[in-house]
Amino acid sequence: MEIVFAGFGGQGVLTAGLIVSEMALEEGKNVTWMPAYGPTMRGGKAYSVVKYSDDEIGCPDMEDIDILVAMNEPSLEYTSFLKDGGTVIVNTDNIPEDVEIDSKYHVVKLPCLEMALNVNNNKGTTIVAIGAMIHKCELFSCDLSKKVLYEIFASKGKEKYAAGNEAALMAGWNAV
Amino acid sequence: MKKMWKGNHAIAEAAMRAGCLFYAGYPITPQTEVGEYLSARMPELGRTFLQAENEMSAVYMIFGAYACGMRSMTSSSGPGFSLKQEGIGYLCANNLPAVLVNVQRWGPGLGSLDSSQTDYLRDTRGGGNGDYRVIVLAPNSIQETIDLIYNAWDLAEKYRNPVEILSEGSLGQMMEAVEFPEFKTREEDLGWTWDGTGRDHKKLESSAKPAATKAKIALMTENEQRWESFQTEDAEYIIVAFGLPSRSAKNAIKQMRARGEKVGLIRPISVWPFPYKAFEQAAAASPNLKGFISVESTDAGQLVEDVVIAAKKAKLGMLPVYGLFSGQHIPKSKEVIEFYEKVKDGTEKEVF
Repeated sequence: MEIVFAGFGGQGVLTAGLIVSEMALEEGKNVTWMPAYGPTMRGGKAYSVVKYSDDEIGCPDMEDIDILVAMNEPSLEYTSFLKDGGTVIVNTDNIPEDVEIDSKYHVVKLPCLEMALNVNNNKGTTIVAIGAMIHKCELFSCDLSKKVLYEIFASKGKEKYAAGNEAALMAGWNAV
Repeated sequence: MKKMWKGNHAIAEAAMRAGCLFYAGYPITPQTEVGEYLSARMPELGRTFLQAENEMSAVYMIFGAYACGMRSMTSSSGPGFSLKQEGIGYLCANNLPAVLVNVQRWGPGLGSLDSSQTDYLRDTRGGGNGDYRVIVLAPNSIQETIDLIYNAWDLAEKYRNPVEILSEGSLGQMMEAVEFPEFKTREEDLGWTWDGTGRDHKKLESSAKPAATKAKIALMTENEQRWESFQTEDAEYIIVAFGLPSRSAKNAIKQMRARGEKVGLIRPISVWPFPYKAFEQAAAASPNLKGFISVESTDAGQLVEDVVIAAKKAKLGMLPVYGLFSGQHIPKSKEVIEFYEKVKDGTEKEVF
């Protein structure tokens, strides 16, 4: 499984990759997480690549993407790496609703920021996208997803975000 | 229970487990997290972290600390590692151990922040003036990085010679699930260190150095070759790759084997000494060998030269050696397969 989270630096695409990596690890998979690094910063171009498998993982970089989570319009350029039949999650708060995406892909369009704000979590935009992605592509169970999401923030002493994060996850989950 | 760790942080924590007492370095992308982590971790363990005024001072601080027997290390990337070369030469001239880490970035001069393997020839040939070698170990996963660095000080002290961990930008930045070994310390006295008693430091006269250097290089070459061979028995073509490109190559080989292609992999883990023995084994096991393919993140080919030498030593010197050089990115499995197909149908010309 190869997932790319792409967006502006600061949107949380590196953290989103980490969250999903931890879920795959909880399932007993081999996992790699690779950030696009270098001269990226808040507002710049950023992405992370997550690969997981029962087998050894080869190249950790983008090769043949199964799922692209596009948090902004420039991210759609990575559809050139997307497998036929792959899935694109489109954040319509930063990408026009009527954007054209090839019909060979499954497309989920969601206003992730608006949905996060609706559950009073202004930092939960990518978590909404993660919830939608996991449910749509049937990656992990709902219980596992909630548990890992909680543990990641709790392990950093950030339990206070737990309820808001779960609400964002479920907003995405229930929207597809 | 395995946990996700970033490559550079794993280097730093593994160094602590291996008993490193002193670190001096200077920040440079994509290696900075090694020092960043140690700046907090070493004081916690009662050890010494020092951000030096530049790369050269850092390497000479290591020199001084190890002359007194302290397990020490420094780390850098491309241009910063170039600045350390003078000090590395002095470490070798004085038969001092040290552990060095190079998290490679692409290119000469300032280069760029891209992951690459373009420091290969410099690092495997010593890198500075004079005739010496550094043992250079090149991991292809974060767990292997930990395992290699954990034993690097034992190896450096055994030969009184620096040991380098040759990482890559992406390997330093990525995360994988890993486990760490227990903390260890060296209790015994190395015997030759400056301990204030004025004892014999086993320094060599200049006139004795050529023979001693030759003997030490021969001994390290005999004892320290490390590699992984994958499906080389019956192979018609053997891909040679280390570090991250070896992962793409192995993945490509699995896909090609499933289609009946007879292709295998030699992955050098020690890039100096180069694993000649792997080629000798392949020569014995693979009578139908038609050629070697070097897969590397360089611009014009560096590893490929060692493949030619290794083939010659294994009495396979007449076989063609091809090269896939991916420049500023990690070659993808798909590129390796396409390249192999061109080699097979004769449209790709050999490098040697």
